[in-house]
Amino acid sequence: MDSFFDRYRNLLVLLALLLAQIIGLAMQVRRTSEGRGTLDQSDSAGVRLIRLWAEGLVSPPERLIHAVKLGSQHAWENYLDLRNVRQQNADLEKTVDRLRLEQASLLEDAKQGQRLQALVGFQQKYIYTTVAAQAIGSSGSEQSHVFTIDKGEDYKLAPDMAVITPDGIVGKIREVFPSTSQVLAINDQSSGAGVILQTTRIRGILRGNANGRPQIIDILADNRIQKGEVVLTAGGDQIFPRGLPVGVVDKVIQDPERDSFIDVLITPAAHLDRLDEVLVITSTQPRFNQQQQQDVATSEAEKGAEAAQIKEQQKASQIMAERLPGLIDPSLPADQQPLHDTSNPNPVAHPPQALHPDRFSPGADPNSGAASAESAAPDAPDRTTAAEPDSAVTQQKPAGKPAQANHNQKTKPKTAQPPPTSPRRNP
Amino acid sequence: MPLLGADLRRDLEIRRYPILVYGLVPLAALVLQAWLPRVLGQFAWFDLPLVVTVYFALCRRSPIQGTLTGAAMGLFEDALTQHPIGVNGIAKTIAGFLAASVGVRIDVENHTIRLVLIFLLSLMSSGLVMFVSRFMLGLDYQWRWYTALFAALGNSVIALVLFPMLDRLQIRD
Repeated sequence: MDSFFDRYRNLLVLLALLLAQIIGLAMQVRRTSEGRGTLDQSDSAGVRLIRLWAEGLVSPPERLIHAVKLGSQHAWENYLDLRNVRQQNADLEKTVDRLRLEQASLLEDAKQGQRLQALVGFQQKYIYTTVAAQAIGSSGSEQSHVFTIDKGEDYKLAPDMAVITPDGIVGKIREVFPSTSQVLAINDQSSGAGVILQTTRIRGILRGNANGRPQIIDILADNRIQKGEVVLTAGGDQIFPRGLPVGVVDKVIQDPERDSFIDVLITPAAHLDRLDEVLVITSTQPRFNQQQQQDVATSEAEKGAEAAQIKEQQKASQIMAERLPGLIDPSLPADQQPLHDTSNPNPVAHPPQALHPDRFSPGADPNSGAASAESAAPDAPDRTTAAEPDSAVTQQKPAGKPAQANHNQKTKPKTAQPPPTSPRRNP
Repeated sequence: MPLLGADLRRDLEIRRYPILVYGLVPLAALVLQAWLPRVLGQFAWFDLPLVVTVYFALCRRSPIQGTLTGAAMGLFEDALTQHPIGVNGIAKTIAGFLAASVGVRIDVENHTIRLVLIFLLSLMSSGLVMFVSRFMLGLDYQWRWYTALFAALGNSVIALVLFPMLDRLQIRD
């Protein structure tokens, strides 16, 4: 027996190691109902421990290399490469002066925008709590677009937090270690983000392809999608806030597996291959500074004052309506209100028969002679006064403007007399 | 190709290195493999852990040591990705075993043999990663043959420079 193990010792060690790793793989990957393998998003404790060891072994040298790189860059930029700095300084001072003027005007617009966004409830799109981090390493595998940042649990980072740059989205945090974190970039094959095309409003899922380029999948063939169209985050994935830039459409290709679907290749807005500094969105709660909070409070106060003023006007109108003859009885249903009452308590007094009928007389022909009309004009108001209209019709004026209505009636010149079918009378 | 008998090969001198070399060289390979792609971007066509695994397997001429070195390097590589741990481990375990087994039988001092060997083992390692991912695990793994070819060429070029440097670190009697 000893000779067997001695003779095949090498092969037995190989088989034992292979078997152990295959068993380990089988514990990490599970089969879906379609028969495909899938990897759990969250690692088991054992797997996480191995990743933690590897990260702990590799991160310190990576930090050292990164620090040396930054230090040498700093030394070069601040001590050695200082030619023409004086001229550049003068030019920059001019630029700063010009930008200050521009900033003054833009600041007002920005404040107004913040105020309006606060009022309409879109704060979450605008301001976030972020943590700046440095990218210090990558996975080292061409098939794995994962990189390491120098912030971890010590900065309260957590899995599934969005990672962005000022240019656009970068990825999401996959694993958090004590002082580092692993970020899954958007161009990895296992990534996923909800996106929307800005112009056509077509939604899709963003993920990487084998070449490490992000593409939108699960889109029905649509010839409206053109090169150069801007792609934004859709906000439905609960990771990336809505409206962040993703990139622009580069090419539309046929889905190799499904005829009616297309894949839209994206040129990412962020430089995914050359990342140095990134921002981790740690909170989507609005964060206003003191000045911004004052602006929002002022806006709220103004809004409240406006509402109070409208309420005051409504109250005054109500009081005025109560002083006027009752048209609306709150205790009665709508169909029994006095407005609908056909039995008029103040019946119309029919005018007496005119002694000298003219064109203003009830029932007279309006096209009667002008001379007779002119001669009869001075007496017409008295006669129309007698033609008392239905009081209900008179009181249907808006309750909010009774005084003005009366004023108009009083100041209206008598030369502009209405026809007898619409008589006027001051109540 | 100068082939030697296994018994004669065993009688040849087995290279020995300072203990620090066994620890620092693989660590440096892992760190550089994780850091250089950030500098080179998509042109990082090399696999330094594989090159180091093959080097130690060839020079130590011990299949067990080659197997263990390959397994450790592969598992560490896997741990730095989001992929399941063991995919690269299996590929490099087999690569280390084969390199050490071949190193017993052929003259590994010859640079041409080294380059051919590292080229073939790189291709085999890429193929094993693809096989394990796609067929054993059923993962949605897209693979490009020309990337594997470029990586094999890159590994050969790196080996051309790195192997003589590492040869200088060996302990000589």
